[in-house]
Amino acid sequence: MTGAASPDQAVGGLTEMLAGSPPRSDALGFYLHVPFCAARCHYCSFNTAPLEDGALARYLGALHRELDLLAELPWAPRVRIATVFLGGGTPSLLEADQLAAVLDRLRARFDVAADAEVTVECNPESVTRAKLAGYRAAGVTRVSLGVQSLDDAVLPRLGRLHDAGGARAAFAAAREAGVANVSVDLMYGLPGLDVAGFARAVEAVLAWGPEHLSAYGLTLDAGSLWGAAGVAGLPPEDTVVGQYWALARAAARRGLEHYEISNYARPGFRSLHNQVYWRAAEYLAAGPGACGFVGALRYANVKATPRYGEALEAGRLPVDSWEELTPRQRLGERLILGLRTSDGVPRAWLDERLAGDAALARRVGDWRARELLVDAAGRVRLTEAGFLLSDALFVDLL
Amino acid sequence: MTLSRNRNFSIVAHIDHGKSTLADRLLALTGTMDAKKAVDQVLDSMDLERERGITIKAHTVRLLYKARDGEEYTLNLIDTPGHVDFSYEVSRALAACEGALLIVDAAQGIEAQTLANFYLASDANLTIIPVINKIDLPAADVEGTRLAITETLELDGDEALAISAKHGTGVPEVLEAIVARIPPPAGDPDAPLKALVFDSFYDSYQGVVVYVRLKDGRVRPGTRILLMSNGRAYDVQQVGVFSPDMRPVEELSAGQVGYITASMKRVADAKVGETITEALRPTAEPFPGYRDAKPMVFAGLYPIEDTEYEALRDALEKLRLNDPAFSFEPETSLALGYGFRCGFLGLLHMEIVQERLEREFNLSLIVTAPSVRYRILTTAGELLEIENPSKLPTPDRIEQMEEPYVRSSVFVPTEFMTAIYKLAQEKRGEHQSLEYHGKRVHIRFDFPLAEIVVDFYDKLKSISKGYASFDYEFAEFRPSDLVKLDILLNGDPVDALSIIVHRDKAYEKGKALVEKLRAVIPRQLYEVAIQAAIGSRVIARETVKAMGKNVTAKCYGGDITRKRKLLERQKEGKKRMKQVGRVEVPQEAFLSVLKS
Repeated sequence: MTGAASPDQAVGGLTEMLAGSPPRSDALGFYLHVPFCAARCHYCSFNTAPLEDGALARYLGALHRELDLLAELPWAPRVRIATVFLGGGTPSLLEADQLAAVLDRLRARFDVAADAEVTVECNPESVTRAKLAGYRAAGVTRVSLGVQSLDDAVLPRLGRLHDAGGARAAFAAAREAGVANVSVDLMYGLPGLDVAGFARAVEAVLAWGPEHLSAYGLTLDAGSLWGAAGVAGLPPEDTVVGQYWALARAAARRGLEHYEISNYARPGFRSLHNQVYWRAAEYLAAGPGACGFVGALRYANVKATPRYGEALEAGRLPVDSWEELTPRQRLGERLILGLRTSDGVPRAWLDERLAGDAALARRVGDWRARELLVDAAGRVRLTEAGFLLSDALFVDLL
Repeated sequence: MTLSRNRNFSIVAHIDHGKSTLADRLLALTGTMDAKKAVDQVLDSMDLERERGITIKAHTVRLLYKARDGEEYTLNLIDTPGHVDFSYEVSRALAACEGALLIVDAAQGIEAQTLANFYLASDANLTIIPVINKIDLPAADVEGTRLAITETLELDGDEALAISAKHGTGVPEVLEAIVARIPPPAGDPDAPLKALVFDSFYDSYQGVVVYVRLKDGRVRPGTRILLMSNGRAYDVQQVGVFSPDMRPVEELSAGQVGYITASMKRVADAKVGETITEALRPTAEPFPGYRDAKPMVFAGLYPIEDTEYEALRDALEKLRLNDPAFSFEPETSLALGYGFRCGFLGLLHMEIVQERLEREFNLSLIVTAPSVRYRILTTAGELLEIENPSKLPTPDRIEQMEEPYVRSSVFVPTEFMTAIYKLAQEKRGEHQSLEYHGKRVHIRFDFPLAEIVVDFYDKLKSISKGYASFDYEFAEFRPSDLVKLDILLNGDPVDALSIIVHRDKAYEKGKALVEKLRAVIPRQLYEVAIQAAIGSRVIARETVKAMGKNVTAKCYGGDITRKRKLLERQKEGKKRMKQVGRVEVPQEAFLSVLKS
């Protein structure tokens, strides 16, 4: 079942929908979306908003109110928040006291675990040692730094506002501020970037000693500038595949686990919050365009920041659309999310999906025969070669 | 009602010369119904006919017209199918008339189907009234068209009516000319019944409704009738006329046009061209020219999902109730599983059947490359007819092969002659004659039917900027040096992709075919080798590279729903793929093979 809210929808309608869909688990993730950016990157299709006078203050007021309303859901008192993730946009545009106020409000309204992982996405040009120290004092335990590239010819073409030196300085500032868990984001498959160039960037970043590394192959998403206008100089597929393997090999040499298609971590430093998504586990969400999952209900907030504010000023949750998953869809999601990780999924889940579908079982047999899919200890997972082709399998598994 | 005030006529024209528009005008002018309603209800009763702008089935409608002489006349307009695939049906509809309006576009002039229709009408001994239409167009050349009618058709161009069906100009004179020039039907109402079947359709309440033209005699409910081609007898339940809906009457008699129902179960029981007479007092001679409509083009139809086989058979049986020209029989393909080899009058007929199966019966189908029927004399002295290339005996067992040829007419402005001859050469055409008609030429070629089955007409139109017109009829089987071209995917032959081609064209065809397949077969987990082979000799090869990467980089909380929906859409698309061995082959691959 799916739905979309109309502007004049009864205030209680969507609240009731959420109220009537209690989470199955008592431990939830919590995603907070900070939509503002100083400039929009050319590859980005995320929900962002220009940073205009007064917009930030209005947004923060609305966000606080949203936390209040979510906390009024009948099942809210029994849940514990195990992970918090502030994503964007550019959450590091928040001053330390603004961020502290948001986290304080969250802790005042919800039972946030004392040892909760609290991650903030940061852009190198918008952080200083002092700001990061403030974040840390506010309860932030993990920083994810959007480096993307260390090539000063490539970075401006992406629309990024920092250079390689700035990225290095930001990482050092995080360490100086005492952040013990730092993740770095890189991109590959970029125009003008060859395999060797990317391998150098990987080596340089790994030499900094981050606990975690995310590396994303460029996708031309429909909502991005490049997706709409196109971009010249994209590398051939062989180059992108070469970059993927260069990274996989370099990470292995440094002792990082390739624990998800685009994510690497030193043992013990996987992103707890992102694993919530890949385990098809539940999470709440707040902020414009943020998406949550409780019970069998996936819901999405209103995207446009002004409309988001209006809904909350009118005293209602800013939910825009929702979908109730059927058992078949739930199984499909568990498979296609779980198989993104090196943990894979219990073999029984896959067997349930293959039951009675001989053609699919034959195709999955091909994946096993080619060692793209392997079985171990009652679970089934994709290999690193399998990750690279995973969508071809996921289409069949839905 | 006396026969002296009856007129039975047809309107024939090249496509787009304004046949339907004039018919609408005649209906409106005689108050039969308003023109808009006419278009919707009468002239294009099938959706497909409306969309394609062509008439597939014959229709008939009775107009009551008060002429200037003060008398009221009954005019039976028998509308004919408008495509070369259906020329036999046209000839039978014309045989039910005494006269025909032959429409010629004042700007386009005489075209291939103008001529073909003129010959059909002449053969039926009809009074032909030439009508020059679209005189309102700036490019209209009325005098030139009169001249062409005189020179090309040997009709009196000065007697042609100049009209604009669109604006109604001159249309009243058309009605007067029908009354004045077309003779009333002759016939003896007291002689034994002799009625010509010129169309029929299946009605789930009344059974088969047969469209008839009575030459002699009478028929009324209760008459025991006999079908002369098959000797079957039936009791008539109802007789009636079209005005334009079916309206029962007490009796139909010599000279009249109407319908008969007699609890017939299948349209094939009363085929077009059949002669109906009285069982107790049969007429001496049936109408000449009856023949079974013979399928000319054959293709395999297979359900994409094996589970839809029964549904496909039921649907084919239902379609055949109304379309005896279409044939089917079960066949098995190693690549595609269980399906049917179907026969059609031509490619348009095939497309119509395929579209109706997909639309009206909601089936997903694979249609194999169309083939013609080949005659094979084996070394053992047997004569075989082969409609499925994969059934061809091995070369060592073939003494001689024959393929069907057609006789064709092309009308085209002289400036395109060179291009037409070049195309004809590519298609193994044999030039027969060339006549100049002012700025246009009429060229006759003989073609192997197989060469014109798929894309010939499209190519002809495109090289002549749309000016060329084309018509053909079956001529004969001729010996030919033909070979079977097989397609192999990863070394395994795919029977459904085999085609029969002329030896001289095999290499070129094989090369084009594997290139086309490379473009439509998506990349898979492993490399796919596509080969074209004659016997064991590979003549062309292409490779679909293995998939390099197919991965979603980011999948976090906000991406999950979007990602799932994207994959679900891709999954829908994949449902139109057929697993052939270990290779997923898209539906269009099978039909695209001849369009290479």
